Amino acid sequence: MSQTLERPPEAAVPKRPARPSLLYRAFVRPETGSLVGAIAILIFFAAVAPPFRQLTSAATVLYASSTIGIMAIAVALLMIGGEFDLSAGVSVVTAALTASMLSYELSLNLWVGTLVALVVALAIGWVNGYLVVRTGIPSFLVTLGTFLMLQGLNLAVTKMITGTVATRNISDMDGYDSLRAVFASQFTIGGVAIRVTVLWWLLFVAVSSYVLLRTRIGNWILAVGGNADSARAVGVPVNKVKVGLFVTVGFLAWFTGMHLLYSFNTVQSGEGVGNEFRYIIAAVIGGALLTGGYGSTIGSAIGAFIFGMTTQGIVYAGWDPDWFKFFLGIMLLLATVTNLWVRRLATRRG
Amino acid sequence: MSGHRRTAALVLASALALAAAACSSTGGKQEENGGAAANAGKANTPRVKIAMVTHEAPGDTFWSLVRKGAEAAAAKDNVQLVYTNDPQAAQQSTLVQNAVDQKVAGIAVTLSKPDALKGAVQNAVAAGIPVVALNAGQQQWKDVGAMEFFGQDESVAGEAAGRRLATEGAKKVLCVIHEQGSVALEARCAGVAKGLAGAGTVENVTVTGTDMPSVKQTLTAKLQQDRGIDRVIGLGAPFALTAVQAAKDTGSTAKVATFDTNRDLVNAIRSGDVQWAIDQQPYLQGYLAVDALWLYLNNGNTIGGGQTVLTGPAFVDKKNVDAIATYANNGTR
Amino acid sequence: MAAMVDMAVDAGVPLVEMVDVGKSYGVIQALRGVSLRVNAGEVTCVLGDNGAGKSTLIKIMSGLHQQSEGALRVDGEEVRFGSPREALDRGIATVYQDLAVVPLMEVWRNFFLGSEVRKRLWPFNPLDAEGMRRTARAELSKMGIELDDVNQPIGTLSGGQRQCVAIARAVYFGARVLILDEPTAALGVKQSGVVLRYIARARDAGLGVVLITHNPHHAYLVGDHFVVLKRGQMSLDGKRDEITLDELTQQMAGGDELEALTSELRRAQV
Repeated sequence: MSQTLERPPEAAVPKRPARPSLLYRAFVRPETGSLVGAIAILIFFAAVAPPFRQLTSAATVLYASSTIGIMAIAVALLMIGGEFDLSAGVSVVTAALTASMLSYELSLNLWVGTLVALVVALAIGWVNGYLVVRTGIPSFLVTLGTFLMLQGLNLAVTKMITGTVATRNISDMDGYDSLRAVFASQFTIGGVAIRVTVLWWLLFVAVSSYVLLRTRIGNWILAVGGNADSARAVGVPVNKVKVGLFVTVGFLAWFTGMHLLYSFNTVQSGEGVGNEFRYIIAAVIGGALLTGGYGSTIGSAIGAFIFGMTTQGIVYAGWDPDWFKFFLGIMLLLATVTNLWVRRLATRRG
Repeated sequence: MSGHRRTAALVLASALALAAAACSSTGGKQEENGGAAANAGKANTPRVKIAMVTHEAPGDTFWSLVRKGAEAAAAKDNVQLVYTNDPQAAQQSTLVQNAVDQKVAGIAVTLSKPDALKGAVQNAVAAGIPVVALNAGQQQWKDVGAMEFFGQDESVAGEAAGRRLATEGAKKVLCVIHEQGSVALEARCAGVAKGLAGAGTVENVTVTGTDMPSVKQTLTAKLQQDRGIDRVIGLGAPFALTAVQAAKDTGSTAKVATFDTNRDLVNAIRSGDVQWAIDQQPYLQGYLAVDALWLYLNNGNTIGGGQTVLTGPAFVDKKNVDAIATYANNGTR
Repeated sequence: MAAMVDMAVDAGVPLVEMVDVGKSYGVIQALRGVSLRVNAGEVTCVLGDNGAGKSTLIKIMSGLHQQSEGALRVDGEEVRFGSPREALDRGIATVYQDLAVVPLMEVWRNFFLGSEVRKRLWPFNPLDAEGMRRTARAELSKMGIELDDVNQPIGTLSGGQRQCVAIARAVYFGARVLILDEPTAALGVKQSGVVLRYIARARDAGLGVVLITHNPHHAYLVGDHFVVLKRGQMSLDGKRDEITLDELTQQMAGGDELEALTSELRRAQV
């Protein structure tokens, strides 16, 4: 013991190679594994499914990725913050139903219904978050509860108000055109029709990634998910951060819900169930750790892209639809394994 | 404090201003002309309880029509209707048993999986409760012990659709299954293939019915992948309407037909976006099932003379769409 | 019972002083009649077996709990802390063994967690990442921890280094009193050396250190003043020149109880 002490302190710390290579630093990013997986799947489908190579197909794949991807951003942030939201799928539909039925029944301008729906969606997120931080019950259980409640509310209230399980067509009401332009329009680049959701998706990814990596809030999100007690001990407002993350899920649920409403004009009240898992899958493929504290929103975007490529690629390849889910499972498993493998490789280097 | 109050006043003022400007000049509830549902007065027979147990998966338009029909008959016949549903046969069987335990006066049940429901139905019959079948079980309702059957099997409806497609010269039909593994939907697509009888081929595509954007994306991809598709047949009105969008987006020439109707679909048939819809008259199925039980309980009547009472298939197309448009608008067709 | 510290020997007002402090949770008396002083540039070691009241003692000093009796003084002024934040504001920082850092986050992020440096740039006020990296590297190197990459997750550092980063963080953000909860408990010999050396540096830098440990050897290496707790009470209180390592070890090992146990076990073996 005393012998150790006589040596200069620096000697106890093993020297590492002077400057880590750029390659190494890229390796330790959470999304690297999924990027490798995405490239592999891209090459695979391009090889086996000729229609997959067309530009128009790329636009369809991107659209499919964006509708999952927008929510996956919020779900990934929430998972990085150490929580789950199983109500994410149905709250999208709750938002759409609210906007649609409120505007229709009261003959209001659609903008009013849309803004009220925003308030409702944010409130759902807030309630989820408040219950989780107040009760200390795992978010898995709390949001399972709200998931079932919303699922029931969606059906029951829709039926009570409209008499059927779907809302009325709102395409002839005031505000429709401007709202459709915001949430569900498309534009053409080089003969290919691109959905506006793709742009929104990329914008949200950019903003969220910047917030996560370069702002204090982002730092807190990582800390809260990584070690909440430790974060609390150094003064991070753990509860506020968590509630904020749930509210973010509410915001993007509203956005996705508005896309749903303004691209189809009516909403089926039973929709959305099962989507919560697609969002979680996209986030996990993108490198978000199920236990929290690690992940990225760029990763969630890559995860959503993998999901979009796989679901559409199977169709482009013309495979028997009975096998659809099976292939989907294989693709997702492969992506996850690649992800894990790359991360292992990275930590061994480290 | 005063700052707070000023903010509150501002919020209130802008809310009022917004409310004034908030009304939609077109569409919405204001343009509905309050169509009354079928109302045939009320019977003075003693009030009884009748259970209806279906295999409805929550949120399906088709079943909301069945239920509306049943409720209309119940209102007219002074019947307390207890409606329950579960898409899993084992659960549905438990619900039938539950109705037996409640000692209801009659049971209307959909025989989605007749073998699984046989035990519970026979318990009901043994307990002296009359049972009628509706919608599913066209071949087996007698074996199971039901008294009457109203409706039409999915496969029979599918065949009729297939025959019509064959006469229209369809070569390659895409059948859109919006719920993977659903017996009823698979039966419809199989029926379409049978009805086509070699005049063309049928390809099934599975979409996630709970996620409309993904339905559209998958159909878009399918139509991009296979340019030879000349017909898309939806198994529910909302999915057919989405198929119309997908066909437009891809510039496909494929025409769209569908099972079942709703308000928007009626308009789509008028505008020619959808060719036709095959109508099983779900409202009628629900109505007849309840009404038949009431007739049996109060007058010992049975309908159909021991044979299946068919409620379809009927086709709704441009020629006859106006006849049902009003009812579709009221949400009863 | 416990000998009071000779006031004449200690120059100036102690940073933190506890006088006859006791704490009870309902009917359970966890701590009774504890007095100790933390002076600048000194290491005060609190030793004791599991359940001796060490953690209750830290919780009172760090603001997590309040004492039920006695006085807690900071710079001679009597205080009652309502939260850890209040203790931090008075310069009392606590480094817990198990929740010192967030393992998956980079070293520099951990170093500045909760006290991030930001640029004033609309709309996000982004982090001054470069500045924080530079500062973290410099501060750590000042205290003898040379990292080639402050971007590596802190989980990749050894347990000793992690403790050191947590301590360096507390020092950088203005701690005058450091409470260290079992900083060497989960560490091997070599790693413990890293931490102890670091404690010595903090002491030399003029901080008052409270070292909570159950290892008398570690305590004796750096301690200036020793307090042994037993069942919530002080069983020993003395300066380094008044106590030998053997006495300390004997006290910690349980003293008379150990001898009784030794003879009992010996009989049992026969």
